[in-house]
Amino acid sequence: MSNTAVRSKVVKIALAGEGGQGVQSVAEILAEAANDEGREALYIPNFGVEQRGGVSVAYLQIADKPIAAPKFQTADIVVALSDRAIFRTKQYVGPETLFVYDSSIQGVSEEDLPRNARKILAIPALETANSELHPRVFNIIIMGAVIKATGVVSMEGAKKAIEKKLGYKFEQNPALRELNFKALEKGAELVEKLL
Amino acid sequence: MADKPIEGEKKAFMTGNEVVAWAALAAGAEIMYGYPITPQNEIMHYWTRLAPKFNRKFLQTEDELSAGFTTIGGVLAGKRAFTATAGPGNTLMQEPMSMAEMMRLPTVVVIQQRGGPSTATVIYSQQEVTMTTYGGNGEGLRIVYSTSNHQELFDYTIKAFNTAWKYRFPTFILGDGYQAKMRESLTIYDPEVRGIEMVPTTPYVLRPGQIGVNREPNHLRNTYNTEEELYEVLQKHISAYNEVAPEIVEYQEFGTEDAEIVVVSHGVVFRSCKGAVQELREEGLRVGYFRPITLRPFPGEQLRKVAERARMLLIVESAYGQLAKLVKDAIFGCSVRIEGLFKPGVGITSEEVVTKVKELL
Repeated sequence: MSNTAVRSKVVKIALAGEGGQGVQSVAEILAEAANDEGREALYIPNFGVEQRGGVSVAYLQIADKPIAAPKFQTADIVVALSDRAIFRTKQYVGPETLFVYDSSIQGVSEEDLPRNARKILAIPALETANSELHPRVFNIIIMGAVIKATGVVSMEGAKKAIEKKLGYKFEQNPALRELNFKALEKGAELVEKLL
Repeated sequence: MADKPIEGEKKAFMTGNEVVAWAALAAGAEIMYGYPITPQNEIMHYWTRLAPKFNRKFLQTEDELSAGFTTIGGVLAGKRAFTATAGPGNTLMQEPMSMAEMMRLPTVVVIQQRGGPSTATVIYSQQEVTMTTYGGNGEGLRIVYSTSNHQELFDYTIKAFNTAWKYRFPTFILGDGYQAKMRESLTIYDPEVRGIEMVPTTPYVLRPGQIGVNREPNHLRNTYNTEEELYEVLQKHISAYNEVAPEIVEYQEFGTEDAEIVVVSHGVVFRSCKGAVQELREEGLRVGYFRPITLRPFPGEQLRKVAERARMLLIVESAYGQLAKLVKDAIFGCSVRIEGLFKPGVGITSEEVVTKVKELL
């Protein structure tokens, strides 16, 4: 997708996973990064009465003009990180939607995937996190994938926003910075290969 | 101790609950009384984190009845006091706010509407319109601002304190769970740099002087012995309210001069309607919008003018006709056709509004 194409309209992103997979952090960091780059961003988490567990969905929109409704009907990109997340987010898929899910999700058949998406990508994010990096940066791999697929923020901007959010942890353990940035690049690579 | 919560003005990117806490600080609110309920909890959280730095206070009460009555207590002591609640908490809040209405006390309450009736969802709705405008056993002598974005949430929270203390009617900011929890950009500021002067507060009790010697007694009553006595007091309150209402009323309209269909909405749903109307206009369709900012007093005369020109009003809300009631009451007798897109407890997108308008055109 070219940069100008992205910037002429609102980019709508839905991220869904199990509680604890970190989709809300990804959305929050992306929103902060977009805001810091002078763009309009609106991020809203879904939330219910449960304290933990359940599918967690983050709705994120990035644009160059003020954004209308906080939620939307059809996303430009949907990322689903569990079987339940796939079922939950199918409703946000339309003919223009890129649907991304983790290839390690068990028990999902061809019929379970949305049939009307523009494109469906299965990326080995979880496996990559576990085997090449660290399970805790799974969500940062996802962030890299979203950035590559949408171009909503620059990689530099994303790194700055990660630094802002996790800088206090990096100070105690500088290796974590390296790990997070590597995860970001890795996520972009995973998508680049498939796009 | 820091001087001012906000020096000058600055860009911010935060949740609506955080916006309310900053606005109340900037407005010089001295104390918040509160009881937790989702989705307004973080107003309390941010307030309790920030308040001590600026010598402000917080009291957590045992429930919302108590939070409302202690807010009244703060106001009686001459403090710029506020509370925040939602849903079932708003239901309980009606009892103390009726008292504030009876005594014309400048309480400020922030409501972040959640799904109803009862506990329902902690997420979102526009189902607290009837309760916030006309709740309690009174006549709705209140002021209710319905905000649609973070900038307005900041601006009108500051304004609410001034409206309350200037006119002495209980004043409400009507937000919702979406506005509470979402993050977007806004500019926060010290009211002074925008030329906003905070209306000074004065105590109702413990006034200086001696009764009968150098000052009159201060009658603070919510109890009356005779029908006539109550009637007389209410007549005064009602005419005072009606007199100031035109100064308080706020609304926005667009494209209503030649619109066939005028979309009427408030709060966060207005964002979707505004987006939809802009899109439809770009397609050359004669569609406009009308958005009351104050739900009490309601911009009835202004809407009537619009309704007399238009072929149809489409009322859009995340409730089953609560805004519609206010609209119909305001334009009674006008022959305009009225349609509704009512989705109680659920968000409404621009796409849905566009589809509905096209069906009706």
